[in-house]
Amino acid sequence: MLWVDKYRPKTLAQVIVHEDIAQNLTKLVTEQDCPHLLFYGPSGSGKKTLIMALLRQIFGPSAEKVKVENRNWKIDAGSRTIDLELTTLASTNHVELSPSDVGFQDRYIVQEIIKEMAKNRPIDTKGKKGFKVLVLNEVDKLSREAQHSLRRTMEKYSASCRLILCCNSSSKVTEAIRSRCLNIRINAPSAEQIVKVLEFIGKKEGLQLPSGFAARIAEKSNRNLRRAILSFETCRVQQYPFTSNQAIPPMDWEEYISEIATDIMKEQSPKRFLPSALKYLIVLLFQVRGKVYELLINCIPPEIVLKRLLHELLKKLDAELKHEVCHWAAYYEHRMRLGQKAIFHIEAFVAKFMSIYKAFLIATFG
Amino acid sequence: MKAHDKGKGNATASKPANAAETKTDSVPGGQENSGRRKTSKYFPAEPKDEQENVELPVKRKVQNESSEKAPPSKKPSKVDVDDDFVLPKSKNSVDVTPSKKLKSGSGKGVVQKAVDIDESDEDDVKDLKSPVKSGGKIRGGRGASKGPAGGRGRGGDIDESDEEDIKDLESPVKSGGRGRGGRGASTGSASGRGRGGGRGGFMNFGERKDPPHKGEKEVPEGAPDCLTGLTFVISGTLDSLEREEAEDLIKRYGGRVTGSVSKKTNYLLCDEDIGGRKSSKAKELGFVFLSCLKILVCILLFLFLTVALNFTEDGLFDMIPPLKGQSNKSAVTVAPSLPRKSPQTDGTTLTKSPSPSVSSAKKRGQPVQHSSLPWTEKYRPKVPNEITGNQSLVFKQLHDWLTQWNKQFLAGSKGKGKKQNDAGAKKAVLLSGTPGIGKTTSAKLVSQMLGFQTIEVMLVIVVERLTPVWKQCKSIKELVSNEALGVNMDRSKHPKTVLIMDEVDGMSAGDRGGIADLIASIKISKIPIICICNDRYSQKLKSLVKLLYRKPTKQQMAKRLMQVANAEGLQVNEIALEELAERVNGDMRMALNQLQYMSLSMSVINYNDIKQRLLSSSKDEDISPFTAVDKLFGFNGGKLRMDERIDLSMSDPDLVPLLVQENYINYRPSSIGKDDSGIKRMNSIARAAESIGDGDIINVQIRRYRQWQLSQTSALSSCIIPAALLHGQRETLEQIGGWLGKNSTMSKNYRLLEDFHVHFLASRESCSGRETLRLEYLPILLKRLTNPLRDMPKRWVEWGRGCVQHSLQLSIDEAVEQVLEFMNAYSISQEDFDTIMELSKFQVTLLNMHRLSKSNGRHSTSCQSSTDKAYKEGSKTRIIRAADLVTLPGMKKAPKKRIAAILEPSDDVLGEENGDELPENDENTSDTEDLGIEVQMELKGTGNSSAKKAPSGRAKGGGRAASAEKKGGRGSGAGAKRKR
Repeated sequence: MLWVDKYRPKTLAQVIVHEDIAQNLTKLVTEQDCPHLLFYGPSGSGKKTLIMALLRQIFGPSAEKVKVENRNWKIDAGSRTIDLELTTLASTNHVELSPSDVGFQDRYIVQEIIKEMAKNRPIDTKGKKGFKVLVLNEVDKLSREAQHSLRRTMEKYSASCRLILCCNSSSKVTEAIRSRCLNIRINAPSAEQIVKVLEFIGKKEGLQLPSGFAARIAEKSNRNLRRAILSFETCRVQQYPFTSNQAIPPMDWEEYISEIATDIMKEQSPKRFLPSALKYLIVLLFQVRGKVYELLINCIPPEIVLKRLLHELLKKLDAELKHEVCHWAAYYEHRMRLGQKAIFHIEAFVAKFMSIYKAFLIATFG
Repeated sequence: MKAHDKGKGNATASKPANAAETKTDSVPGGQENSGRRKTSKYFPAEPKDEQENVELPVKRKVQNESSEKAPPSKKPSKVDVDDDFVLPKSKNSVDVTPSKKLKSGSGKGVVQKAVDIDESDEDDVKDLKSPVKSGGKIRGGRGASKGPAGGRGRGGDIDESDEEDIKDLESPVKSGGRGRGGRGASTGSASGRGRGGGRGGFMNFGERKDPPHKGEKEVPEGAPDCLTGLTFVISGTLDSLEREEAEDLIKRYGGRVTGSVSKKTNYLLCDEDIGGRKSSKAKELGFVFLSCLKILVCILLFLFLTVALNFTEDGLFDMIPPLKGQSNKSAVTVAPSLPRKSPQTDGTTLTKSPSPSVSSAKKRGQPVQHSSLPWTEKYRPKVPNEITGNQSLVFKQLHDWLTQWNKQFLAGSKGKGKKQNDAGAKKAVLLSGTPGIGKTTSAKLVSQMLGFQTIEVMLVIVVERLTPVWKQCKSIKELVSNEALGVNMDRSKHPKTVLIMDEVDGMSAGDRGGIADLIASIKISKIPIICICNDRYSQKLKSLVKLLYRKPTKQQMAKRLMQVANAEGLQVNEIALEELAERVNGDMRMALNQLQYMSLSMSVINYNDIKQRLLSSSKDEDISPFTAVDKLFGFNGGKLRMDERIDLSMSDPDLVPLLVQENYINYRPSSIGKDDSGIKRMNSIARAAESIGDGDIINVQIRRYRQWQLSQTSALSSCIIPAALLHGQRETLEQIGGWLGKNSTMSKNYRLLEDFHVHFLASRESCSGRETLRLEYLPILLKRLTNPLRDMPKRWVEWGRGCVQHSLQLSIDEAVEQVLEFMNAYSISQEDFDTIMELSKFQVTLLNMHRLSKSNGRHSTSCQSSTDKAYKEGSKTRIIRAADLVTLPGMKKAPKKRIAAILEPSDDVLGEENGDELPENDENTSDTEDLGIEVQMELKGTGNSSAKKAPSGRAKGGGRAASAEKKGGRGSGAGAKRKR
């Protein structure tokens, strides 16, 4: 089993990183009724772990006995029926699902399915907790309509059902929903915390950690704990015993994106034999398109591609341009969310960048 | 413009003497037409020339070669006139002219080779309007010169057939050459794609440089027809005009552009380094070159060669005199001369026509009287010779087929004859082609000619009557067999019969049995059957001999139309007819109808009338999305009207935007002018890309929220704006698949990932989301799954040198066990394993993996196969956590088609790849299936480098073939289609 999962805290008491939050949560569910919760924070900060631990805290070990179901629903939407397929993860007391998986039909999930689930009051023999819990992942990716319908569900069925929402960015969750929840911000763990966790794991696994190695992993991980642990293990698989200057393998897709960024940037010194810089630019644009396609095909989410691309570009960019490029990246990212075909917008960004950069080069170097 | 014109008039009057000297008449003297006149006025000509002009009408039949050499009209007038020029920019050229004049003066004495000008159409007053626009018109033609296929194929350039040597065409033969019409020739059948795209396929981009002073010079606006009758050849890179622009300019004023130098060539338009084949050809032909002169520093010289004179671009501009008040007058005077003229032109230009139209007019003398018939009937060809186009088809194939039919089948049934050739071997023949090009007519004609009695059946009518087709077929069957009896019994009575079934493809609309029945009846038929349809690709008609009717070229049509017009006493010039022919898209019937309609209101029809008339009622063509994109982005894209653009982009509102997105980078925009650094183009691309993004966003609104009223907006932003920004010459730099293909691959992969995710969740070890799984788990999973298999054997080999065999076996088992354990822990199935492999395979990592696996491929092969065996064995004891992981005993998955891939010879890369992750266990079907998957994937991955080259190559081939066959049309259109 991977270390990430092996050393994942199962109860709130075991939590190392966000101890304070864990304590608060414990108090919350033991002392009083649990409100709706909204967990938000960057990925790899432990939201999901906390949620699972919280569920266990509420329902006891039975919360871990989940079954995975790939369920089909037929929804009657006026003139037509819509077939939806969604994976749910359910225990006796809670159901977890990611409504955004079904794309723009997510409102049907919210309107029909979630309502359906929320309506049914669990038959509780022991009379302990009179509610069930719905865990909704990626709420920030829900469409606006879905969020609006969620709003009503939350109020109407709050007696029998609690929602635990989980997302990366609360800004994409409507105000209305946020105000109906207890918002819990989960910060990304600091580098020190990550090092602490890594050392903890290293101790448990009986590994010898060279000094500074854990810190390097932590740094590389971008304050993403999960990533840190995973790459820690990758290092372990790759080479053991560790050396302090051991290379920490980057993620394959990150490497690939940084390659794209390099391609875009090195344009002023065309290595390839091509008659003109112009032609080179054009060919380059095609290559970038091909590579972005490659990424998307391999299931890398387009937002991540764009973000990472910007990140890589900024690393190499002149300070003067950074602001402008960031602006355009945000602009195109927004459009990407409005639209459907992500590649169009990523390509538009790349083209925009290339034209800005080109103009900049000409202005600077003549 | 008017004021401008007037000024001109005055100016010309006061032309300086030197101008007169330098320029003999700008035009080869042969032109008597007034259009010519007009120009000659503008270019003050020597009195002598004037005389000649006057005389010429008389001897127009004679080749006016001797009469006057036309040294290029170095517009002398300019000097004087420059004040009058409305356009300040023209001053540039004004400055230039003097020196030029000198130059041309030198050229003057040179002997001119035959200048036989067929300038039929002097009255073509068509564009009185701005030539300035010409920029960007003919883009597509440009690269063609490089392509081997270039020339001839391109336009129906029949009128040039008497050129001596058409073989070594270096550059596109612009067929029509007459004014506007010339352009049409190539588009005629092939529609837009042909031009830019087709050519694009096979040319080497970038070989011809951009004009050095692109867009810097003002293109003068001149009187219409000032170049009428002149034939130009363009060679090399011009100074400020793209070649297509130059061609367009010339044609606009009535000149012809041909691809190679011949006796008829008047001017060779070229740049300084005149050393190419065309110029040497010119020398061969006995032309004397004038040495090139450099005129002004700022303006690169072009040498204008009047068949022997070098002629620059500026010279070309100079030849186009500005509009004057006189132009009207001249137009009037021209008209009378027309009728006399046109017969002659027919004779000379259309070499194919054996009989000059005069005779045909005579022939048609009688029909003129009773004019109640529609012309389409009246002038329906009565003898096969009159059929426009497709001569060989009609004469040879159809005729032969019919003549041999009896021999073949009737005799054959008696055991005598053997079937020799393909065409003769079938009992029925299928004529296919677009409507109105004479299929039915020719079928009837040929039958008549051979003395067959025809029975015509229109199936569509039957369908309309709602009579089931099979009933009709039954009657046909009866007919067939009855007639057959008739044939056999008393041949004398019914000599021969042929059944013509029109509109066969309409039949499929009715009921299904129809075609099958028809084919059955064909089989038993004792008489020849000719089926006629529009869509030859209809699946059901496969079993018939197919003869494809092509659209007649516009020259062919114009010739025939001219005959009709003459017979009806209409005055129409040839350019106008060619335009008509082009507009109706090869539909003779429609052309005649239009002509007849117009004849009701006027007796003299000129180019403008036709243009006006057909503007609104031009024939709808079927436009494929590819053609639509090509038209939008083509060289002429900027001149389309808005509604045309919307029509084009709405021709397939789903596909066109995708195609636009796929290709918009491929066009070199003609609108941006000179652009060395590429910054302008890059900006345009960025804007276009953003607009395409807009289109996507709007499309979401349309689809998701059903805001269909936005669909025009969507068309605007996803197609029209990008096209407006980037339309121009197509260059195919790189091809990557379209969005649709990528999207389906993507969704497939998401599905696979989702399966994997479900299993992963089912293991209860982790509760990560799908994205997290992909982004962060996958690399380590991959390592955990493959590393043991790869590393362990190596380690063991190193470790236990002495007893390699033994330890190897041990290590493999151990590694396998380790991997299996891991797989079980996360409920990873074999399919998931493959998913992981596939998803984490970027090109980069792929390389690494090859390198790594190369060293120990052999070992891990066996590792992997044993892993799989072990996995299967263990499957009984494994904890099943997800429903689909249950294996039902005895239910092997049916091997899928992908197995076919296994038969392909495995190159070593493949072998290694197999070694890394694949079992070599042929007995097990699921294993072979896996292999199939892997093979595909592998080919996809490694094929990349070669795939990049392939498209261009392919397009090249396609373009070439198509251009030879179809006038340079379609070229990459076909290529592109094939690709998809």
